[in-house]
Amino acid sequence: MNNIQPSLEIDVAGIRMKNPVMTASGTFGYGSEYVDFIDLNKLGAVVVKGITSVPWAGNSMPRIFETPSGMLNAIGLQNVGVDGFIDKKLPYLRNFDVPVIVNICGEQVGEYLEVTEKLDAADGVAAIELNISCPNLHCGGMSFGVDPKLTDELVKGVRGKTTLPLLVKLSPNVTDITVIARAAEGAGADGLSVINTALGMAIDINTRRPQLANVTGGLSGPAIKPIALRMVWQVYNAVSIPIIGMGGIMNGEDAIEFCIAGAAAVAVGTANFINPRASLDVVEGITEYLERHGMRSIEKLVGSLEVP
Amino acid sequence: MLVPTKKFDLPTEVISNELVAENHYLLRCSCPEIAAGALPGQFIHVLIPQGSGLLLRRPFTIYTVEGDEITMLYQLIGEGTNVLSSLKRSDSIRVLGPLGNTFEISPAPDPAVIVGGGAGIASLMLLAAALRENGAHALGLVGSMNSARLLSVEDLEAIGIETYIATDDGSVGHHGFVTELLMEILETHEMKNPQIYACGPDGMLRVVTKIALDYRIPAQLAMENRMGCALGVCLGCVCKVRMPSGGFEYQRVCTEGPVFNAEDIIW
Ligand SMILES: Cc1cc2nc3c(=O)[nH]c(=O)nc-3n(C[C@H](O)[C@H](O)[C@H](O)COP(=O)(O)OP(=O)(O)OC[C@H]3O[C@@H](n4cnc5c(N)ncnc54)[C@H](O)[C@@H]3O)c2cc1C
Ligand SMILES: Cc1cc2nc3c(=O)[nH]c(=O)nc-3n(C[C@H](O)[C@H](O)[C@H](O)COP(=O)(O)O)c2cc1C
Repeated sequence: MNNIQPSLEIDVAGIRMKNPVMTASGTFGYGSEYVDFIDLNKLGAVVVKGITSVPWAGNSMPRIFETPSGMLNAIGLQNVGVDGFIDKKLPYLRNFDVPVIVNICGEQVGEYLEVTEKLDAADGVAAIELNISCPNLHCGGMSFGVDPKLTDELVKGVRGKTTLPLLVKLSPNVTDITVIARAAEGAGADGLSVINTALGMAIDINTRRPQLANVTGGLSGPAIKPIALRMVWQVYNAVSIPIIGMGGIMNGEDAIEFCIAGAAAVAVGTANFINPRASLDVVEGITEYLERHGMRSIEKLVGSLEVP
Repeated sequence: MLVPTKKFDLPTEVISNELVAENHYLLRCSCPEIAAGALPGQFIHVLIPQGSGLLLRRPFTIYTVEGDEITMLYQLIGEGTNVLSSLKRSDSIRVLGPLGNTFEISPAPDPAVIVGGGAGIASLMLLAAALRENGAHALGLVGSMNSARLLSVEDLEAIGIETYIATDDGSVGHHGFVTELLMEILETHEMKNPQIYACGPDGMLRVVTKIALDYRIPAQLAMENRMGCALGVCLGCVCKVRMPSGGFEYQRVCTEGPVFNAEDIIW
């Protein structure tokens, strides 16, 4: 037995982190909601709920529905808006020694740019994560993230407004995710978050009504893990910027799988709803795996898939 | 009333889990940390034991607190409650709580009219106890499908609450809805500083709200909704709430609720 103490510290896309475990946007609020259960200082990074230029009310109810090994959500990006975030949420997060990554969204490019400018000027933002799965008002509600040209335009625009590390969060609801991944890389993304929720739906057969008021919603949780892993692997083989892998990660072993597929870091989402300590459990699980395999860091694991 | 209680996620053992009425169980477990902080109307988020295949936890109001022990009174609805009902003494479960806000009970209502429909009465028992401790005059109105499913009447009477029953089939008490009983009580009893507290199916709560507005009596409702995290982050469990400014806001049942003023809810 060797007694190598693994080091989890990493630098991903210019974000220095104590470990490769982040929280996934929309599943960890603004951090404060979890302090009864975990020490935020022990996380790799806190990724906050998607922020828009003005507060959004969100969708009508019902907004969530449990499906086998997963859940559907159509929250509609209810959030406090960028000013509310900077005034009311960010000061609290500055009390911690943890990088804060702000997920941003908008219905048109201008809104993304406005939010980016304000965050760039704010104190305590470590990076921006661009959610390109939002419906684009100018394209009949089609999401930016399904079209390489729209992705290019949006990422270039945001890139021009900030020197902060820029992550682009890819939608799985595309024919070929590598096309969008390359577009984002070419437009100046420092890293890619893979994946957002997979579009799905569920029906109450007695009333013949959809289970969500919005009819369709995003599927998350273990149900999407195989899809997420496949997409991380595909993107890893298509770009040279780092990938943050997410989709159904419940424990350290799931996270290791993502690393082997090509993720330099991971994010824990829906698992936070089931186990408020999930993100730290993943950190511990990764450490145990590295110890067991006599590895000093996860770097060698990243993309180490042995293809027969 | 919003309360910043410290929350715990604890493993614990089932002490007992008994059928108390047709289709309804009472589960008791020891949770000293949660018991110490629990306020009327607050709830726990219960992890359904492994192997059930269910992902999300299920929310249940804290029914009673006795020393280190808490109980929850629940109705069999679907898979989650079905799995819970099979738990035996010393089986382990995980419980997150105490969660949510609490009822406003001062100045002491005279009388407090507690209206529970079905398992909704479970959300009003700690409140009933708190009202009695404060010396408030309280009336209990319990609605049920039939006598076999009747809940909590003895528990309410044991703490000195005058209790009235309504059943859909007339097998006991008033033949009809508990909201009809509510109207009758409001007409026949002296109402000095009345306050209505209600929990039950949406349809019942809408009628309670209408009655409360007609009689100009303040009413507080314990709301229910599908719930994800129960910690305020997923924004799945919201209800539509009227704002003083004239607009509305989606507020979280788990955080701003479960207790809301009836007049603020937009159905
Ligand atoms: C804050 C809060 C406190 C609660 N307290 C209690 C309590 O003390 N006692 C209690 O019995 N229940 C209580 N509930 C309701 C309880 O959480 C649900 O009945 C339970 O989650 C159902 O889980 P299940 O897996 O058995 O059913 P599921 O499989 O989740 O649901 C089966 C079907 O029933 C529907 N359904 C879900 N909840 C309800 C409901 N409340 N009434 C009618 N249909 C429903 C679902 O939409 C679905 O179609 C509370 C809910 C909330 C939000
Ligand atoms: C309730 C909920 C809200 C979410 N909100 C956002 C959001 O605001 N912005 C975003 O980019 N992703 C959002 N996501 C997606 C998650 O960040 C994550 O990409 C996805 O859920 C997959 O990971 P998981 O299976 O571990 O949850 C949300 C997911 C859920 C379940």
